[in-house]
Amino acid sequence: MDLVDLIVEKRFLGQEFLTWLWYKSDERGGTVFLPGTGDTQLVFEKHMLLEYGEGEAFEKIICQGLQAELNEARTGLRMGKKLEQARIHIIQGEYEWHMTLKASLLEFRSVKPPKTMAGSEEGATAEAVEGRLLDRIGMLETATRTIDELFRVFLEIRTSPAAWQEELDRIRKWIRKPE
Amino acid sequence: MGLLSSSATFVRYAVEGELPPNFLDFAAERIAANAYRDIDDNYEERSVGWVSVLNMFDSSFEYASFAAGDHIVLTLRVDERTVSPKILKKFTMKEEARLLKERQIPKLSRTQKIEIKESVKLMLMKKAVPSPTTYDLCWNLSEGTLLFFSTSQKAQTELEDFFKKTFDLSLRLQIPYLTAEHLLKPEYHDALSRLTPDILI
Repeated sequence: MDLVDLIVEKRFLGQEFLTWLWYKSDERGGTVFLPGTGDTQLVFEKHMLLEYGEGEAFEKIICQGLQAELNEARTGLRMGKKLEQARIHIIQGEYEWHMTLKASLLEFRSVKPPKTMAGSEEGATAEAVEGRLLDRIGMLETATRTIDELFRVFLEIRTSPAAWQEELDRIRKWIRKPE
Repeated sequence: MGLLSSSATFVRYAVEGELPPNFLDFAAERIAANAYRDIDDNYEERSVGWVSVLNMFDSSFEYASFAAGDHIVLTLRVDERTVSPKILKKFTMKEEARLLKERQIPKLSRTQKIEIKESVKLMLMKKAVPSPTTYDLCWNLSEGTLLFFSTSQKAQTELEDFFKKTFDLSLRLQIPYLTAEHLLKPEYHDALSRLTPDILI
């Protein structure tokens, strides 16, 4: 299958992952468990975009507001829409990232990594420049690895019919839960 | 929204193919051969090439190396002279009117009109200042992955073609399904390929 067909046909995979991630985070009050790392704070905030259907029947809703005001997005889920884009706040130890994930293509948008160097430390020598680059790369790669680890947990459940059925029952209960 | 900006936007690629031995020497040679060439002082329509992520005027990497630890960091610079269709139409019509009057003829042939349009476009192109666009990339050599700091499809196609030309290696955009193939053990791949959308309500 070529890339364009894969993008269209498997578009749901990223959207189901992001929806699942919202459920996972909400289920434990903004904390998710990462194998090998342990508990990581992961909060959905401010901005969400949900989609439903294809072609002429395509619909989308954009919801903005603080976490407590994402009721409209929850209503969207109840109407069968899936999460296409969301702003996420991740905290691991002393470091914090903010990022928007676009689900269908797994794009990382407006990623704000933690600032680890004070302005005074940012020298202009070759070593200082390389250090600054490596620091930035490391922070961005930590963000992508964290999302990959979460995606792996989702995929292992999603590809196991029994485990997915159990998870699906819990997700459905969560979606129907009154506010 | 590049590698060093306070807020970064990027997609991920897998680099496909074997790295040649002494790769950093090979990369240095290829990057130099495909470094950005300035077109400000000539009439070339377009120039594409590599520059430093720290300075888009540094195509010889004097200020900072393209190698950072186990990564290669580069900026793809594309400079292009463009003429807006509106301006091209205006000057073509003006030239057509001038010729009709000068030659005292009722109308121009189709071939003449095409020739006029081409020569007007060339004249305007020479006057246009090349407009620069830059896109950063960060290539993790040990993992064979690459972050590209643009979600524009046009930019991504430009990168895929120019990366192949420079390094003889292909890039594959990591959409969720392909990322899933990398993340899952092979025994899960069959189940992954058979997945269909589920209803979550």
